[in-house]
Amino acid sequence: MLNKSVKPLTLVDLAVVLAVTAGVFFFFVRMVQVLDYHWDWQAIPGYFLFKDPETGRFHANMLLQGFGTTLKLSIWSMGIAFVLGTLSGIMGARGGFIGQMISRFYVETVRNIPSLVLVILFYYFVSSQFLDAMGLDQWVRNQSAPVTRAISLLLAESGQINAFVSAAAALAIYEGAYISEIVRGGINGVSGGQWEAAWSLGLSPFNTFRLVILPQAFRRAAFPLAGQFISTIKDSAIVSVISVQELTFQGMELMAATFLTFEIWITITLLYFILTFSLSRTISFFEKRMAIRQ
Amino acid sequence: MFDMKKVLMAVGLILLMPLALCLAGETGDRLSKESVIEKIQKDKVIRVGMSTFVPWAMKDKQGKLVGFEIDVARQLAKDMGVDVEFVPTAWSGIIPALMTGKFDVIIGGMGITAQRNLKVNFTTPYDYSGMSMVAHRKKAQGFSSLADFNKKDVNVAVRMGTTAEQAARKFLPKASLRLFENESQALQELNLGRVHAVVSSAPMPVFHALKYPDKLFVPLEENFTKEPIGFAIRKGDPDAVNFFNNWIINQHASGFLKEKKAFWFESRDWEDLVK
Repeated sequence: MLNKSVKPLTLVDLAVVLAVTAGVFFFFVRMVQVLDYHWDWQAIPGYFLFKDPETGRFHANMLLQGFGTTLKLSIWSMGIAFVLGTLSGIMGARGGFIGQMISRFYVETVRNIPSLVLVILFYYFVSSQFLDAMGLDQWVRNQSAPVTRAISLLLAESGQINAFVSAAAALAIYEGAYISEIVRGGINGVSGGQWEAAWSLGLSPFNTFRLVILPQAFRRAAFPLAGQFISTIKDSAIVSVISVQELTFQGMELMAATFLTFEIWITITLLYFILTFSLSRTISFFEKRMAIRQ
Repeated sequence: MFDMKKVLMAVGLILLMPLALCLAGETGDRLSKESVIEKIQKDKVIRVGMSTFVPWAMKDKQGKLVGFEIDVARQLAKDMGVDVEFVPTAWSGIIPALMTGKFDVIIGGMGITAQRNLKVNFTTPYDYSGMSMVAHRKKAQGFSSLADFNKKDVNVAVRMGTTAEQAARKFLPKASLRLFENESQALQELNLGRVHAVVSSAPMPVFHALKYPDKLFVPLEENFTKEPIGFAIRKGDPDAVNFFNNWIINQHASGFLKEKKAFWFESRDWEDLVK
């Protein structure tokens, strides 16, 4: 463990805690008064799981399905963004003139387009040209039942696959631009002395990069990268505009049908928080482990 | 003297004639092959674009789609001998999504308007809807006509991109409009008393007023517009228009549409399905 001494609680700390608690309490009291809202939390658990009256088995309902889609979407786009961003970052730091130009072009273009616009452009123009024209959804429909099930487990059902793939690609391209800058900064941050030391040991330039520079660069980039992954989860909410059935979309559909506006928004907020908070806790756990190893 | 040019042109025309006739025949052939009807039958699935609108289309407690449109689309698919796949789509993007081929047809309570018709083709109406209004008891006290709401300091909430928005602009030009992506947001604004009224397709305003009788009321006795509702398909597909039109005429004649309309719009038997 790290040697961190626990400081004793002072009067000031106590006052701050009390003030915050009072503030939160007052906020909720006011909210209930001002809104004059008929709270109805009873229906909410049913939107996670429902019991099939015939078989007596439980099935995932809209919110849980949406949560699953958000999770799948985040994992796919993070994975692709990581590959894309690392390649572009390496090109930006170590590539020749052309490589650096390509990397800069990618990063500057994507970073200067709002993510919402990028998602919509991708869905209506790029995906219409490729995914729809290739008939990806029809191909999925024609597969045998186990294959279709596997695809719907990993990606999405046939009816939603084009939108899902398009959303994952757009998000990956968007996040990849930020990852590219993080990786480039990490590589450039490794001191020149490391290169010279590796050369003097007789390592080839490629091996120097692979064995000496990149591991150090990634250690530097690890925590900004982790932050970017958390951002990806939050950014995934914007793909609801192209009707990908992720958590936000499902929540809005539910609100349109039930008018339980606040209950559903609060539930969605909690779900995103659970996802991002547990990820950030996991990361700080590894952060501590790595700090010890160093 | 022969004019060599004219002769050559005449000969050329005679030679081209059969080709032109062939092309004309092929155009008809090509049109029917490219029709979405052909595609639906080949793929064995009809993809229907829709958006949640109570009680046209909504998810029930088990996450299954139910509603008037859903019944219509299911029956249509059954009669075509294909499966149906619903593509829930945000209303503001539903026409671009149809135009770029994200689904085959919109069956989503879409009112037939001239502006929309410039972008897509509509079938003959399978239903008629009208605009109605639900108002806040305190804010809109004593309001009982459209003229009462057509004032500068009156706020009206509507769902963006709907015919409700157009109706509000036309009938309440002086009132200030607040636009929302979803109906539930507009209604929330009304429940909080931030707007005087919500304009929306019947029967939703009446249902909503019945739910909060101490807070809301229905100021107008009758719907103030009557709107034809049709299926929307991509342009340039006469076969599909013909097929869907005749299907709709048949369903009017057999009483199917009337029966479904009575269930979803005049009764509230379905409410247990949803909540």
